[in-house]
Amino acid sequence: MKVQYSYLKNFLTTTKPIAKLADAFTKVGFECEVDGSSIDFDITPNRGDALSLRGLQREYDALQSKKLKDTLPHKKLKFKKDKTVINKIDKTGCGNYHLMTIAGISSIKNLDVKKRAFLSAAGIPLISPLVDLGNYVMLEIGSPMHVFDLDLLDLPINILFQSNNEPFQIIGGDLKNLESSSLTIQDQQGVQAVAGIIGGEKTSVSKNTNNIAVEAAFFYPDKIVNEARKYGLATDASHRFERGVDPTIQKKALERFIFLLDDIAEYDSVKCFEGDSQTVKSNVVPLSIERFNQFSGLTLTRKTISSLLQNLGFSLNSSNKKNLSFSAPSHRFDISLEEDLYEEILRCYGYDKIPVNKPKPGPIPLKNNISIESELKTGLVFGGFTELMHMPFVSEENFMKLNSKTKKPAQLLNPINENEPMMRGSLFEGLFSAINLNVKKGHLSLKVFESGNVFHKSGNDFVQHGHISGIVYYHEPQKRWDSTVIPYDFYSFKAELYKLLQTLGVDNLRLEPNSDNRVFNLNSMVIFSGKKAIGALGEIDLAVTQKLIKNTAFGFELYPEEILRRSKTIELKPISKFPSSTRDINILISKSHTYQMVEKTLNAGSISFLNNFVLVNTFEGKGIPDGLISMTLSFTFQSSEKSLKDSEINDSMTNVLRVLKKSLGADIRS
Amino acid sequence: MQIPQDLIDTAKLKLKSVQSEAEFFQLRSQYLGKKSFVISSFAELKSLDPNSKVAAAKELNILKSKLNQLFEVALEGIQAKTDVSLLDTTLPADPYFVGVEHPISKVAERVISYFSTLNYQVFSGNEIETDFYNFEALNFPENHPARQMHDTFYLKSKSKSEYLLRTHTSNSQIHSMLREPLPLYMLSPGRVYRCDSDTTHLPMFTQIEGLVVDQDVTFGDLKGVIINFLEDFFDEKMEVRFRPSYFPFTEPSAEVDIKFGNNGWLEVLGCGMVHPNVLKGCNIDTKKYRGFAFGMGIERLAMLRYGVQDIREFYSSNLDFLNQFSS
Repeated sequence: MKVQYSYLKNFLTTTKPIAKLADAFTKVGFECEVDGSSIDFDITPNRGDALSLRGLQREYDALQSKKLKDTLPHKKLKFKKDKTVINKIDKTGCGNYHLMTIAGISSIKNLDVKKRAFLSAAGIPLISPLVDLGNYVMLEIGSPMHVFDLDLLDLPINILFQSNNEPFQIIGGDLKNLESSSLTIQDQQGVQAVAGIIGGEKTSVSKNTNNIAVEAAFFYPDKIVNEARKYGLATDASHRFERGVDPTIQKKALERFIFLLDDIAEYDSVKCFEGDSQTVKSNVVPLSIERFNQFSGLTLTRKTISSLLQNLGFSLNSSNKKNLSFSAPSHRFDISLEEDLYEEILRCYGYDKIPVNKPKPGPIPLKNNISIESELKTGLVFGGFTELMHMPFVSEENFMKLNSKTKKPAQLLNPINENEPMMRGSLFEGLFSAINLNVKKGHLSLKVFESGNVFHKSGNDFVQHGHISGIVYYHEPQKRWDSTVIPYDFYSFKAELYKLLQTLGVDNLRLEPNSDNRVFNLNSMVIFSGKKAIGALGEIDLAVTQKLIKNTAFGFELYPEEILRRSKTIELKPISKFPSSTRDINILISKSHTYQMVEKTLNAGSISFLNNFVLVNTFEGKGIPDGLISMTLSFTFQSSEKSLKDSEINDSMTNVLRVLKKSLGADIRS
Repeated sequence: MQIPQDLIDTAKLKLKSVQSEAEFFQLRSQYLGKKSFVISSFAELKSLDPNSKVAAAKELNILKSKLNQLFEVALEGIQAKTDVSLLDTTLPADPYFVGVEHPISKVAERVISYFSTLNYQVFSGNEIETDFYNFEALNFPENHPARQMHDTFYLKSKSKSEYLLRTHTSNSQIHSMLREPLPLYMLSPGRVYRCDSDTTHLPMFTQIEGLVVDQDVTFGDLKGVIINFLEDFFDEKMEVRFRPSYFPFTEPSAEVDIKFGNNGWLEVLGCGMVHPNVLKGCNIDTKKYRGFAFGMGIERLAMLRYGVQDIREFYSSNLDFLNQFSS
């Protein structure tokens, strides 16, 4: 709500400069900023009562410890009940309803310059003097008003919830199909206004209007909230009604309207009507002085507490040494609990006067605070990766590309960009575009990763999983200044992942060839911890990168939530005092067998004294028959009990050859 | 015969300054050559009486062998030194990558690290959430205008519960109060979403939520921990202002402003005493326990701390921007 400073200053009878006045309001919970010659108030939704000059004045005076001044100049009116004017009222939606009919209006002038400037600064368009006056009184007192052309109304009026979905033409000409949840003002011809939101085109005032009916009513906030939105509307009236309008000010608003009308028009007669009304009970809220002081850390007296609340319009209901109770004023819809009173007291007393205590620690937690995810991130950063972050919104096409067909996307009903309505199911899309962007900018070698959640639908519900994904990409091979090429290939990449995961202490780490993945090509592996897949790595399938990446790129994804670490107790093995012996052999084996098969065969072969073995060399080509590959393996034998004899080692080597031949058809290469 | 006592020590001293093999052999001949003291002394033995001769010979032999050993060891050292082929060690290192943590992670870690010293436990939360945890349990009744302050993304679903992208990390308050034993000191970082995008707002951003539920917690405790945290975070004593505000899940609520750099008041976080309706909803006895909660936007803290002007930079993947955070 924007309020012209010059107008506000006079209304509050203050001389405070604009910045100081804005600061004074901000300090007590009415955040505002100076905008040219106005103050723009950002009134929180609990304080609809402050959406008027009178509301702001009430707060300001309370903070100056002043009692609110008497009402504004007005003309006293008498209201009568007349079923031929106001007939039925649905009391679940409408607390009170007043109609003031003014006949024979003539010589209508514009509002004075000051009032018009005040309305314009508040962002309220000037329409016609009578409507402008209604809006002015709303800004002054806080009660929204509606002005009908009396001649176009077929009285009596009924205030009822809409029963049929009839189209209704609102002021301005748009047609809206009304819903049954909407409270409406109906005359004998049908709906003429949507209660608390907007009037109809048909009964709106025009240049030819001579007789008007001015409405001031109280509609219950819960019946108005969200109604305007349903019709794509947000009006000054709906903004106030859904936050709560004081149910005791409607007559005052009409009395003020007629008082001010004298300045801009002549008229013949005024009649005032009221429908059956509901009295809105004010909340009585208890307050324990001791509890308040414990809560705040202050030691305020009963007298201070009472006077702070009374300045705000609360009335003391009962009082003894320890306990008080207060009735909330009619405009304060937000007060129902003791804590609500605490806030009022503290707000006016000053948050800055509350003592500052030394930070108190909580009990020592049993669990370590450092997550696997954050350790992985640290490991990657130390491994030279740069962390990226992306928005998680993706197109349907890209979701499908990067996720298996069984994964259903989580789709937004109201995406920011309608081409990207899905929540990401993989972190790779962001990484692909990041690589493309940075290669274009001249970063020819990149190591990047992202850590974040991915989403999909599961039945009628949704699941989220934490992923960490990364890419290593060399747009050109890296060379040293002496032309030495620094090689980087699948195996270098695999080593990086092993280094990371073994340093982290992943339990039972192993890699298996990957047959089903949407991101990688056939050169890829699934990473397991025991039987659980904890990630995958491999060469990025260039078909899914939308041509963003042109050369081989290596990628990984890890699922930190799935990773189990080795137990913290370490079982030490005795170290043998006896020497170890090493033997190499050179075998020929079919290329259709993977090295992993060789490893598995040897590990399962129960070879005596075998400590470990490594692959020393592979060779194919000249001298090697087609379809075969030569592998040189180096075996280390050792016993924990004795020095091994040559014959014992020879026996073991014979066994090595036997199992390799039996299982994999391998032969010794002569 | 008079044998100099410091012969070995002076030899050691002189060996230390030897730079080349030539120098070494020159020195060696001074001590072990024909004209050296030790070798020429052997010739003089003849002139001694038999008793003295034996004793002197023994002494000379020990000396000779000590010198031999000394020079042998020294020669190895000199040879090892001179065998090195000299490099221009000032040539560049092989190409290497410097790892960089994202500034948002960096700031989040800094916040977490402060609160970890106060034993706050870190929990992660759901980004896709039901209406209950994001609004209802946080005292945003259905049809409350406060919900309109949050431009909420909703998800397509046939499920009975209404799913949405959480609009704040405060949903973690409810999950942890329902799950964890009291007293509770918790922190929950994560991404949140608002259906709003312009130069100062992003549809996704990062928050950190803090919550304490304990006996005898006061507003003064909340002020204490927030002020201390802000001074720790910005590495300076600063003016901190608590001003009344409104969040449905805290009562009283406050916005916290700081004076940092040459600016006026800057809003940095929201906080308050946990609303009794929220505690009751989580089956917490409000006669026994009270709580305070706070929530801060990490992008905002990062922009202030690093002087970043445009919030979109954080999600731009621009290495020219991000690489500047490598420390």
